[in-house]
Amino acid sequence: MKKLNQERMFNFLANNGIKNFIGVPDSTLKHFIEQGLKKKKILIATREEEAIGIATGMLLSKSPSLIFLQNAGFANSLSTITSLVQLYQFPLIFLIGWRGYQKNDAPEHKKIGKIQPELIKSLGLKSRIIKDKNWKECCNWVIAESKNGHTCALIVPREFID
Amino acid sequence: MIRKEAIEIAIKEIGNQPIISANGYISRDLYNVYDKHSNFYMIGSMGLASSIGLGVALKNSKKRIFVFDGDGNILMNLGSLTTISSQKPKNLVHIVFDNSSHESTGGQPTISKKIDIHSVAKALKYKTYKATTKNELENILYRIEKIKGPILILIKISKSKTISKRIDIDAIKIKQRFMESL
Repeated sequence: MKKLNQERMFNFLANNGIKNFIGVPDSTLKHFIEQGLKKKKILIATREEEAIGIATGMLLSKSPSLIFLQNAGFANSLSTITSLVQLYQFPLIFLIGWRGYQKNDAPEHKKIGKIQPELIKSLGLKSRIIKDKNWKECCNWVIAESKNGHTCALIVPREFID
Repeated sequence: MIRKEAIEIAIKEIGNQPIISANGYISRDLYNVYDKHSNFYMIGSMGLASSIGLGVALKNSKKRIFVFDGDGNILMNLGSLTTISSQKPKNLVHIVFDNSSHESTGGQPTISKKIDIHSVAKALKYKTYKATTKNELENILYRIEKIKGPILILIKISKSKTISKRIDIDAIKIKQRFMESL
């Protein structure tokens, strides 16, 4: 996603009730995170599972929360997602940067990137692929889902190689 | 002192204040000693009780939030101590029941006999306390009432001979009643 749209996306979510943005940095989501840092609304955790733990604590306090992370970190957190987020039905929003979306991405991302759609499907997690053309619609969707008590995910494909 | 005895002493001071308790025998003991709506029993996601506690503490700055953790649990998520320390929640009391073992999975050793969790927390600028007897624990719990956190109390316990029964409350119910209690 383009820089401008990532910044708009952060502002839109923050202005529409999402209070907490917790996660582990990812280059695909770089501009989203930078915008959050500028607004002093980002909490960076040491690892993804920790971020999920903090966010669930905030959700226990009725404070809407989003987790940002790379798909590798999402895969690290599978058991936390099933035994904490899904078991207790926390309306957590995941924003996932998708490495390995392009076939020529770096070698460490290829395998996990390839199985990313299957992981989401196996978990039964509601998700949307978010791009420049549909970011606002996707944001409205996650806001509505989390208000209705559902866990949901937005996945941002990495469409560039650096 | 076994964990159940330490929990009984802690509960006398904590009363109805919120507790986030780690998975395994810690939550089972707490459930059997004093079940209440403001107990959040984390039945899975080993390692994350202190992270959940941090999230609750940051959003409820006027309430004291207690975490019941274990040595195996905190060693699994040691980064949590650094995040908690950097966030400086004044209202967080982190209690670690340390039996130097993974008691819930059969008593396999942890490294907490070689690595002092109390010293690690101290280096991270937690207010730290260590109890090895019931008297020491009672005194510490009394003394910390007016101390600003984050506080870590390491309680050295021995392994238990009996096992508390499992928590028979649905996870969603555990969440709902905890949320209503805040």
